[in-house]
Amino acid sequence: MKKLIRVTVNDVAHEVAVRPNQTLVDMIRYDLGLTGTKNGCGEGDCGACTVILDGTPVNSCLVLAMQADGRTITTIEGVESGEGLHPLQQAFIDKGAIQCGFCTPGMVLSAKSLLDENPAPSEEEIREGISGNLCRCTGYLQIIDAVKSVAK
Amino acid sequence: MGAYDVINSRAARVDASDKVRGRAVYVDDMKMPGMLFGAMLQSPLAHAEILDIDTTAARRLPGVKSVLTSKEAGLVKYGVSPARYDETIFCHDRVRHVGDNIAAVAAVDLDTALEAVSLIKVEYRELPAVFTVEEAMAEGAPVLHEAYPRNLTAEVHHEFGDVEAAFAQCDLIKTSSLVNKRQDAAFIEPPGCIASFDYSGCLTLYSSTQVPHYLQRVVAMVLGLPVGKVRVVKPYVGGGFGPKAGANHMDLAASLLSMKTGKPVKMNFDRKQVFMHGRARHQFFHTITTGVKKDGSIMALKHQCHLNGGAYSSFGIATVYYSGSLLGGPYKLPAMKYDGYRVYTNLPACGAQRGHGAVIARACWEQQLDMIAEELGIDPIELRLKNMMTVGDVTCNHLNMSSLGMKDCVEAVRDRSGWKEKKGNLPPGKGIGMSCGFFVSGAGYSIYRSETWHGTVIIKLSEDGGTALVYTASAEIGQGSDTTFAMIAAEAIGIPLEWVRLESGDTDFGLDLGAYSSRQTLMTGLATKEAGEAVKRQVLEVLSEELGIPVEDMDIKKGVIIFKRETPDITALRTRYIKEHRGWTDNPSPDEPLSFREASRIAFLSRGSIVGTGKYKPPVLGGDHKGATVGTSPAYGCSAQVVELSVDMGTGKINIEKITDAHDCGLAINRTSVEGQMIGSVSMGLGEALFEEVKFDDKGRVLNGDLAEYKIPRALDMPAVEPVIVESDEPNGPFGAKEVGEGAIMPAIPAILNAAYDAIGVRIFELPLKPERVYQAIKQYNQKLAKQGAEEMSSAKRDGNLCTKDAQAIDISSQKMNVKGK
Amino acid sequence: MSLPEFDFHAPEGVDQACRMLSDYGAGARIFAGGTDLMLDMRRKRISPEHVISIAAIEELKRLDFAPGMLKIGGCVTVARIVKSKEIALKWGALCAGAKALGSCLVRNLATVGGNIVSARPAADLPPSLMVYSASLVLKKTTGERIVSMDDFFTGTGTTVMAADEILTEIRLAEPPPHSGAGYINLGIRNACDINILNVASHIVLDRPGGVINDARIVMGCVAPTHVRALAAEKLLMGEKPSEALFERAGEAAMKASSPRGSAYSRASAEYKKDMVKELTMRTLGIALKEASGSRS
Repeated sequence: MKKLIRVTVNDVAHEVAVRPNQTLVDMIRYDLGLTGTKNGCGEGDCGACTVILDGTPVNSCLVLAMQADGRTITTIEGVESGEGLHPLQQAFIDKGAIQCGFCTPGMVLSAKSLLDENPAPSEEEIREGISGNLCRCTGYLQIIDAVKSVAK
Repeated sequence: MGAYDVINSRAARVDASDKVRGRAVYVDDMKMPGMLFGAMLQSPLAHAEILDIDTTAARRLPGVKSVLTSKEAGLVKYGVSPARYDETIFCHDRVRHVGDNIAAVAAVDLDTALEAVSLIKVEYRELPAVFTVEEAMAEGAPVLHEAYPRNLTAEVHHEFGDVEAAFAQCDLIKTSSLVNKRQDAAFIEPPGCIASFDYSGCLTLYSSTQVPHYLQRVVAMVLGLPVGKVRVVKPYVGGGFGPKAGANHMDLAASLLSMKTGKPVKMNFDRKQVFMHGRARHQFFHTITTGVKKDGSIMALKHQCHLNGGAYSSFGIATVYYSGSLLGGPYKLPAMKYDGYRVYTNLPACGAQRGHGAVIARACWEQQLDMIAEELGIDPIELRLKNMMTVGDVTCNHLNMSSLGMKDCVEAVRDRSGWKEKKGNLPPGKGIGMSCGFFVSGAGYSIYRSETWHGTVIIKLSEDGGTALVYTASAEIGQGSDTTFAMIAAEAIGIPLEWVRLESGDTDFGLDLGAYSSRQTLMTGLATKEAGEAVKRQVLEVLSEELGIPVEDMDIKKGVIIFKRETPDITALRTRYIKEHRGWTDNPSPDEPLSFREASRIAFLSRGSIVGTGKYKPPVLGGDHKGATVGTSPAYGCSAQVVELSVDMGTGKINIEKITDAHDCGLAINRTSVEGQMIGSVSMGLGEALFEEVKFDDKGRVLNGDLAEYKIPRALDMPAVEPVIVESDEPNGPFGAKEVGEGAIMPAIPAILNAAYDAIGVRIFELPLKPERVYQAIKQYNQKLAKQGAEEMSSAKRDGNLCTKDAQAIDISSQKMNVKGK
Repeated sequence: MSLPEFDFHAPEGVDQACRMLSDYGAGARIFAGGTDLMLDMRRKRISPEHVISIAAIEELKRLDFAPGMLKIGGCVTVARIVKSKEIALKWGALCAGAKALGSCLVRNLATVGGNIVSARPAADLPPSLMVYSASLVLKKTTGERIVSMDDFFTGTGTTVMAADEILTEIRLAEPPPHSGAGYINLGIRNACDINILNVASHIVLDRPGGVINDARIVMGCVAPTHVRALAAEKLLMGEKPSEALFERAGEAAMKASSPRGSAYSRASAEYKKDMVKELTMRTLGIALKEASGSRS
């Protein structure tokens, strides 16, 4: 049976009727229409569905929509501010960190969480911080460069 | 170079701004009013006769709109190569692998569709199955396709030059083998599609394809629609790497479901279905024999290969040809013999993956060249420099080296890696190795036999002037082709990149064979260049008429009209332009030079829409032997790589520390994209060398159909990579450009194999080099050493056939023992 | 594939969770981090009628450093273990196990309790927890009991827990002076891998530079459950640590282990056995370094 949950996504409060067996990624993509969050494997392996849940990046395919009740979510659509692109997004563009783009939203969110928590990560910490996000196109190095260029 | 305003630079991708915001639309991001959801019933058995299919219960389920089997879909055969059409949308009499397609359902939502699929009852009679090459080729083995006895999809027997005579002159003849494992392309976006059939009889198919054109043709052929009524649109695609380069049964089933229901139908593979569909790199069993002179000159090559192909041909017939033909370069090789066999088995079909057909052959041979170098006491780099072809050379199998920066590549990686200081001087457990690579810059012939153009491009100037709209049916799949063609168009017209808008991936825009065989930069690039030059000429022609200046005395650069001689009075033209733009704030001031925007508006006023078209097809290439078409190309890319690694001698785990990688892409259109392809190729090669293998159980069921147990590199697995772009000038490419996308993977695996040997002192002839395999090799090697005890080691040449029988055989090199033996 | 249909419950406290578990009986499943459960449900290995989420229960998310005792709430995420400086200092092998578990994204969801209760022989936390002699608090409506981790696992995927019990807390005594522990997991990739083998070792010296007077070695992936290398432990007792001693201990652990391997598994039995020796030696080395170092 569907149940109404309250969830704040990208600073907007939503009430969404969700099924108990509905995943968070499913709700974000199909109920809220925020298709920047991608579905790559459905099993927590690829990280394409990464969102920031109460300040922590998670695989939204491993979370039930109902568990998001009362919580705050940032998706890729919420990373850009009124002043424009987040510096990390600009760095991804400038450093050639994007190819097919399917991993990009999750990658940006993982990297953003890392920098929010640790503004001056070492290269190893950057690699660790994006290690939950698979990219088959770039070989990661330009992504690491992009994060480095924004780190303090 | 510096002669260019747009290309040969570092441009941000034209799609990056959307992609970084999550705004780029991939097929599963789309929805349509009334859209239905499709699901597929797939075989649980590897080989079985279908006795009965009962869809009654599925049809009765509320919400189900259509259920299709071969009864409704018919039995028109399709595939990749018309010479081997061996698939139908649905199986009717037999299933040939686990995951083979039996029926499809469209319903109001996915859960209903999946439930309906579970309600379809199929009665099978299980048949004996074959999973390995040996089983499939054995006497009396079950045959998958009656037309192909002994389960041979295709066999190739080529000989160029007199191989036996050449061997007779050799001082050293070396044989070795290599076997890889079946790969998965592991693109992050699983394939999906939305088919929408409208009541005017037109089918629009949105698909995550690499090849809109081939998909359009196959869909039209199988469903009996005129090609002109089928439109394939490729949204953004989340990686392809080969397996998305053909029509799949999902595209076809969704199309037919839409035709039956009159509604749009969406279908997706889940991750496991990606593995059950397959179509990625084959498992190859190569055995190569090379003969050389004492001075290292390569004289002859004898090569045998078996491919475990799976249940259908897919690209297999091309794969087995590529495996042989691409060893023709980049070394001078007077004689070459090749026997290739592509074998059907009851596993998902294999097809093409980055470096199609040539990756493992290259790895086998480049490893062997290192063995030869060692036996001859020649540095591996010197051996390669000694043998490499140069511009103008033609291989024994008729491949023409119109440009070849091979020497520059090798010298670059040698010098930048510190090869001379490191080679031979590293402690046990550390190693350095190198390899070269070689690949086509676009297949010389289309997949179906045809005189078709390989790419057509339309450029239209916006009627207000100022924007060039580029229309191409080529496929941006992440590699950056949209940006490349926008840059080429801008350069050809003479305007800034920002003034170009590009639409691609839509069969309504023209014909383009798509993203495979590393072809688009050269082929679509030439068509784009021609179209750009055509619009430029038209603008200049109108100016010539208006100003009375010969066309050849004018040019367009950076969006400004250049008058090579005297600058004419443009006041009248400018006044006309400004008059039409009253109230606009960006009109040109009197002292500005005449802009492209003004000129193209004037051109429109004079001639109507300014449209330029471009087209490209390769000239007749290659020899006239059977299969000569595969491996021919208007140009060839080449590469070299040095790998430095360490091996944990206690566990066998390899840690790649640094890779120096050089690739000759001709003139680099976008240097950032070229490096992206190089590093991405390194990553894929590293994964294949160290981690990746698709595994099946003894019933032919995939065991690791997910991205946890099918292990592609993560950020922590990638070493530092120094990419070096080598720019030869390719006469057959646009502005001298050629490929990088696939060729760049060629040296990765053999360079790792050679470096691993340097570290542990023992050769390994089976991939991947996972810790256990490396550890066992070290252990067996040490045991052998112990057994030999203090016996004096023979310096006699070892039997060259030592490694041929068993891919895991250990080759002990006597020269290596003292150095690295523990 | 979508998930099976179930009712979702988010009890506010442990007591309510226990009541629900008792009320709904065998058709109920506890959802802690969900990283294993979601997979099991997606792949239709299990189809519970009731999913009881305890992830948000505050009392299960406590990480208490009581004097002489570390108490880890069942729903403390693995990421918090990784980030705890105190744990890194005193329970280094647990920290190493936590770092090895999944990806950083998975660690943000996965819980310590979940990694124990799912009882997978390749799990990353049990070896370290076992060498630290962890005990587990199991609660149900009628009360609670405390079980040693040594007695907890009964087979792959099975434990001594009753269907209506919840693992609420993991307790670790503070390691004694002059002690140290090490954990190593071996996978194919550098991270986010499923283990081929994992070993944790713990030793206590009687004094700096003295003899070993307590040792525990636990191996994963060699049997249906995590197992102690008792013979190896015994061999170490009363001995002065040395490379040769650790090699003998490694050999003893190897001889006592009987891993299974087939053409389809992640590694052969032969390789796993050799790695038992190697990793036992190496983890003992780490343990000795720690025991001789500043912490003791």
